[in-house]
Amino acid sequence: MTLAAAAGTAAHATTTTAAAGTHGFLSPTGVEIAFLLVGLVTFGAAVITVTTRQLVHAALWLVVALGGLAVEYLLLTAEFIAWVQVLIYVGSVVVLLLFGLMLTRAPIGRSPDADSGNRPVALAVALAAAGTLVWVVTDAFRTTWIDLDGAPAGSTDVTGASLFQHWVLPFEALSVLLLAALVGAIVLSRKAKADAASDAADTRRDTEGTR
Amino acid sequence: MAPIPGSGLAKGLAVTLRTMTKKSVTAPYPDTQPDLPPRTRGVIGLFEENCTVCMLCARECPDWCIYIDSHKETVPAATPGGRDRSRNVLDRFAIDFSLCMYCGICIEVCPFDALFWSPEFEYAETDIRDLTHERDKLREWMWTVPAPPALDPGAEEPKELAAARKTADKLAAAQAEPQEGES
Amino acid sequence: MNDVLDVALRLLVVFVVFLTFPLIVGQTEHKVMAHMQGRLGPMYAGGFHGWAQLIADGVKFAQKEDVVPAGADRRIFQLAPAVALLPYLLVLLAIPIGPGEGAVGQVLDAGVFFVLAVMGVGVLGSLMAGWASANKFSLLGGLRTAAQLLSYELPMLLTAASVAMAAGTVSLVGILDAFEWWWLPWQITGALVFFIAGLAELQRPPFDMPVADSEIIFGAYTEYTGLRFALFLLAEYAGIVVLCGLTTVLFLGGWHGPWGADGLGWVWTLLKTAVLAFVVIWLRVTYPRMREDQLQKFSWTLLVPLSLAQIALTGVVKVVFL
Repeated sequence: MTLAAAAGTAAHATTTTAAAGTHGFLSPTGVEIAFLLVGLVTFGAAVITVTTRQLVHAALWLVVALGGLAVEYLLLTAEFIAWVQVLIYVGSVVVLLLFGLMLTRAPIGRSPDADSGNRPVALAVALAAAGTLVWVVTDAFRTTWIDLDGAPAGSTDVTGASLFQHWVLPFEALSVLLLAALVGAIVLSRKAKADAASDAADTRRDTEGTR
Repeated sequence: MAPIPGSGLAKGLAVTLRTMTKKSVTAPYPDTQPDLPPRTRGVIGLFEENCTVCMLCARECPDWCIYIDSHKETVPAATPGGRDRSRNVLDRFAIDFSLCMYCGICIEVCPFDALFWSPEFEYAETDIRDLTHERDKLREWMWTVPAPPALDPGAEEPKELAAARKTADKLAAAQAEPQEGES
Repeated sequence: MNDVLDVALRLLVVFVVFLTFPLIVGQTEHKVMAHMQGRLGPMYAGGFHGWAQLIADGVKFAQKEDVVPAGADRRIFQLAPAVALLPYLLVLLAIPIGPGEGAVGQVLDAGVFFVLAVMGVGVLGSLMAGWASANKFSLLGGLRTAAQLLSYELPMLLTAASVAMAAGTVSLVGILDAFEWWWLPWQITGALVFFIAGLAELQRPPFDMPVADSEIIFGAYTEYTGLRFALFLLAEYAGIVVLCGLTTVLFLGGWHGPWGADGLGWVWTLLKTAVLAFVVIWLRVTYPRMREDQLQKFSWTLLVPLSLAQIALTGVVKVVFL
């Protein structure tokens, strides 16, 4: 909705062009090295997030992981997604998470009961998901290079145009879904008269507002 | 008439803005001396010529911060065959201003008008013992005591003036009467 | 080499602005607040009307001992001021003060998004400080900060979206290029909502419940001393500069003015920003603090509907008249 006006120019249908002739699969340019390093940091932060015994530390490491992801998006020229990542995840979701933690119980130091005991299962699922993703993504893109002539595929212009010209229907369907979630949250909070539900409503509305 | 919504908020803004354009009331003290009202309780001065060492002030002081020492002297009889009189002589009179709470009771109870308020207030010290002002210093403060403020117009005459006038009038009347009889 | 020099110069200028403008706002606050209360304010530091008071304050802060409470989470406690301060520095990079490439730190395609996203990160600093201090007042302050941010972020985003709709772009420079004088009455509701919501995000009076000194001492910053405390204060004043600059750029037409827009555009921007900063101070002096529930109610029942109405108005005008 907010981007309807922004979607002015024509969509670049060809988001990426093959230029494998001049570049190898991994030729160490500055951007690639930066991408790898940030990736390592993001990965490390993510691992600490799920292994640390200190709840609030986990939430803050999550900030690092999500921020790292935003930087990766930036390096892939997806500027719009990067800022949305920061706005929604770092700015709102993590704040909400911390809010919830502080409201309930977040002692300074270790919480021994923070471990759910599902470690092997979680590890298996994580590895399977990671394996699938890596396989699919490398298989799909291989040595594809982003064409930097003209507006890059991830820029606000192109994203807006494709979102509101080619993908309007899914977009609106998603908004209806979010609206339903919002209404549901309000109904739940009315009936139960619990404050917790209104917090859920806040996030929903945040996501709605920034979409 | 119902007030316009938000008019109170606007009024508040107007008040602060108007205050900003006016001259501020702060007196930058060390640069300009404050304009103190008469009877300001700054420091206590001792008019030691009036003191009879009656000890009333020291006894009434709630903080016991007045120290008085004295001795008796005999004054030879003024007339031959008369009796020798004894007289109190002041040796020490000190007020410890680190204890004084400026209640002014000593000044109120003094029957001989030996203690006065002075508006001087700049006598801070770096050593607390220096806040005990001895007799000389207390006498010095007397020079800073302002003249008593004038009475309100139409106020009752001061007691001592009224008494003096009464006596003077009586005397005048007594002197006038015989003259009248003569003429 | 020239590019490197150019980037370095821009960063340096932004950094200098970041260090001086908050101090200017702070000193103005000292003096304006004093005179609004019939006082004189600082008069001695520096000789002329106490102009160096904040420098003296800075020296004082630097001399103080850096205390970390025994029960606190050391690392997070020490990191919090930086997290609170850095976002404003980043935001300052993207605010254009004049027309053309030369008057903005870095031209960003999604400027509005960048600015709002990064400003939202700053609150993490307060949350970290509130939690890591091991102090119940700090925790309460952190909680209030989070609650306030969650409710005031929405109207801010919605009104910014309204301007983006009007201009047809989310780039700050693009919005200013598209600006016409009649946007002022058109977007006035949005401007007011944006400014008020921004004040609440900065926790400035009358929205300073998270740091209400009469209730919770100083909220999340209770345990801080010395330089770290000074950094939090600097973040607050940098936030004022950023908010006023943003309001100027989004709603008041930035470098556009009745005359002299060609060479003196930056003067207009600075002038408007300064006037807004004065308003921030003025509001602080005039109004008492709002209660916590009033704060929430104000946002959800007044600001959000108003900003939605503004979006509707923008859409209608955009479709019907343009």
